[in-house]
Amino acid sequence: MSTAPLVRLLNITKTFPGVRALQNVSFDLFPGEVHVLLGENGAGKSTLMKVLAGAYMPDSGEIEIKGQKVRINSPAHAQQLGISTIYQEFNLVPYLNVAQNIYLGRYPRRKPPLGFMVDHQAMQDKSRQVLGSLNMDVDPTSIVADLGVAQQQMVEVAKALSIDAQVLIMDEPTATLTDREIDKLFAMIRRLRERGMGIVYISHRLNEVHEVGDRVTVLRDGQLVDTRSIRDLTIDQMVQMMVGREISDLFPRTYQCPGEEALRVENLTSARNGIKGIDLTVRRGEIVGLAGLVGSGRTELVRAIFGADPIDCGEVFVFGKRVTGSSPTQLVEQGVGLLPEDRKLTGLALKLSVAENIVMASLRRLFPRSVVDLNKERNVVDKYIRDLRIATPSQKRLTQFLSGGTQQKVVMAKWLATESRLLIFDEPTRGIDVGAKAEIHDFMDQLVAQGAAVLMVSSDLPEVLGMSDRVYVMHEGQVVGEFCREEARAERVIACAMGQAQAAPSVVSGSSASPGVAAAQPGQEA
Amino acid sequence: MEQTCKPLQKKWYDRVPPVLWVLGIIVVWFAIASRGHFFTISNFLNIAVQGSVLLVLSLGATCVILTEGIDLSLGSILTLGGVVAVLLMTRGVTPVLAMLAGVASGFFCGAITGLLIARGRLPPFIATLGMSGLGAGAAVVLTKASSVYADPAAFVFFGSGRLFGLLPMPIVVAALAFGAVYLILYHTPFGHYIFALGGNEVGAGLSGVNTAWWKLMTYFMAGGLGGVAGVLMAARLHAAEPTIGLRWEFDAIAATIIGGTSFEKGRGGIKGTVLGVLLLAVVRNGLNVIGIRPVYQALILGIVLIVAIIFDVVMKRRQEGL
Repeated sequence: MSTAPLVRLLNITKTFPGVRALQNVSFDLFPGEVHVLLGENGAGKSTLMKVLAGAYMPDSGEIEIKGQKVRINSPAHAQQLGISTIYQEFNLVPYLNVAQNIYLGRYPRRKPPLGFMVDHQAMQDKSRQVLGSLNMDVDPTSIVADLGVAQQQMVEVAKALSIDAQVLIMDEPTATLTDREIDKLFAMIRRLRERGMGIVYISHRLNEVHEVGDRVTVLRDGQLVDTRSIRDLTIDQMVQMMVGREISDLFPRTYQCPGEEALRVENLTSARNGIKGIDLTVRRGEIVGLAGLVGSGRTELVRAIFGADPIDCGEVFVFGKRVTGSSPTQLVEQGVGLLPEDRKLTGLALKLSVAENIVMASLRRLFPRSVVDLNKERNVVDKYIRDLRIATPSQKRLTQFLSGGTQQKVVMAKWLATESRLLIFDEPTRGIDVGAKAEIHDFMDQLVAQGAAVLMVSSDLPEVLGMSDRVYVMHEGQVVGEFCREEARAERVIACAMGQAQAAPSVVSGSSASPGVAAAQPGQEA
Repeated sequence: MEQTCKPLQKKWYDRVPPVLWVLGIIVVWFAIASRGHFFTISNFLNIAVQGSVLLVLSLGATCVILTEGIDLSLGSILTLGGVVAVLLMTRGVTPVLAMLAGVASGFFCGAITGLLIARGRLPPFIATLGMSGLGAGAAVVLTKASSVYADPAAFVFFGSGRLFGLLPMPIVVAALAFGAVYLILYHTPFGHYIFALGGNEVGAGLSGVNTAWWKLMTYFMAGGLGGVAGVLMAARLHAAEPTIGLRWEFDAIAATIIGGTSFEKGRGGIKGTVLGVLLLAVVRNGLNVIGIRPVYQALILGIVLIVAIIFDVVMKRRQEGL
């Protein structure tokens, strides 16, 4: 690339009270390039991008935009400089329409004397143009709250284009998208790249990196590790750069003979949640994976098992005891724990401390006389912080300040404290960095080795294949396949999840099974 | 073209705001139960006049709630606005100027709460609770805790005159206030920022919106509307009482919520608020017309409020297919 860089960050340092978030980090971005930014949670990726987006001022270092030295002192200023950011939490206003969102903060006005009024017509026309140029058929007058996640993301992209952004920062854009939507997003990224836009792409999903990126910069503990061309690197090398040590095995499993039955589900059906005639079993000492596309009914199934949603018919047995129709409270008493998909919303009380979160579900068990013994609490919490290697400065730290991986460990500790023997994990490592992921996997393995049973919902196929003794595959609310560890291969599971192989895994032909081909699938998941 | 945005197929009855059903049922019931005394044009005008003060006040409450805030000082602001206007008139100030001063007192209170909330980052609940005490206290001090009276012609006309000998002035004032707020809310950047503050304050800030300023402006506007409501109320009574506005902020909040505005995410709008105000006014009026004794009225009104809100919640869940 011979052209001048769009962006050059030189020796950026940024400290927060007690934390050195960035130390002498340099970064550059050329037109027509997708530059991937990798690093574990807390490595400084977000901080670096917030410096570029005008949300943080660096303590020292220089920023050059198209060769001009600048100080970016607000998000609005960054926008004027042509830098647009799509955060994981969208900057969209749910009850305004698409056009009103695209032009938020810079509404076109009508001609004087009506200059105080917003020119809705012009705004909608221009929005339609921008959306059209992205091949997006979204009506500018639809209310954003009525759109799906993927469409909302497209609105964010349109917003970036409408301010003539030349630099687009995307923070984990694929975290909440289905495979089909991801393909679309990548196609769009390629189009933007052809227009000469520079894109900074932050992601945890290493397998996406080769598909979408040109160069990669890896950060670790606030420091620059290296910037390299992606073609020269394998995924393993990238992982090694991120963690600074070799992770010998992301999926540590010590397989053993499964024991007695921990969970049996018979013909479970819930029409309103779209699940039909589910049969499955989980035995002690087993990790059972539940694979399928987003929207195939996996979360709905585990919620129904856990008694969180009503069911129409079918039976659920836990450790041989019939629990059909029981409430979550009763299931917890039977030793069942659910680690929900959205840990920030339903897994944790973010405003409470690590200690309070850990004992929350087991107060009754720990303190049967309804008086909290603080000494005992401290000891119990201490034990889990040590066992799970929870990275927290103290028991009193509020969980909202912890990284995603650490938060997930707190949720795990909470259920371990209840002495649950059947644990249901819904997306246990989504949005969690590689190091913490390996630790969580390691811990899951220890759990089943000690005789617990685990049912794991995951959209991360390598995780399902690497961790499970057996895999059930769901498609449109039904279990359409069951594979033992030896039979479970990526292409088979994917084909099955896409409804291309009914029930019998042995008849799957290899030809129909490349991960990207979701085109045959009518978009049932909404 | 998989990107096509398919709006949910809604039946016509899903488009009707839930509160309208409740209102319709109540109107029909009163019409029957009152044997014709309720369903007359003069009684409807009556209801509209009775509802107009509350509507002006509720417009402000709705805007504040759309920003995910709350204003507990509106009742006190209403009291103070009337007191300021009437007292100035008793001191010989021209009625128009005195009334403007009453309105200005509302804007002033709103500016203070706005400052405390937007710049001082106090929670709206606390800041407006404080202002509620301040406003009510100031009204008591200014009037020495007794009612004050004034009846210059212009003032009386403002409260009980008829425009072109036809339309009662309170209705005209409420309609103008509605028109102005409608224009602001749906046709100016300020209005859009009100929705944005409630919907995604952080996101709006990152999109370059000066969120603190527009939040201040929202409370400023609500205070001003409170002042207008206070002057209007005093003009109807030819008097200002130091406790007249007691609990009015709750009526304003109730009208907003019944009208379908949510405390979260900037959802709702002022059209629903008109229906919410009408519901309250219709029930109060209807209970009188069919001769329910006043001791029971508060109780019945409370029940109607709860039923209306439950109905709203249930209908919304239904419409969203949850």
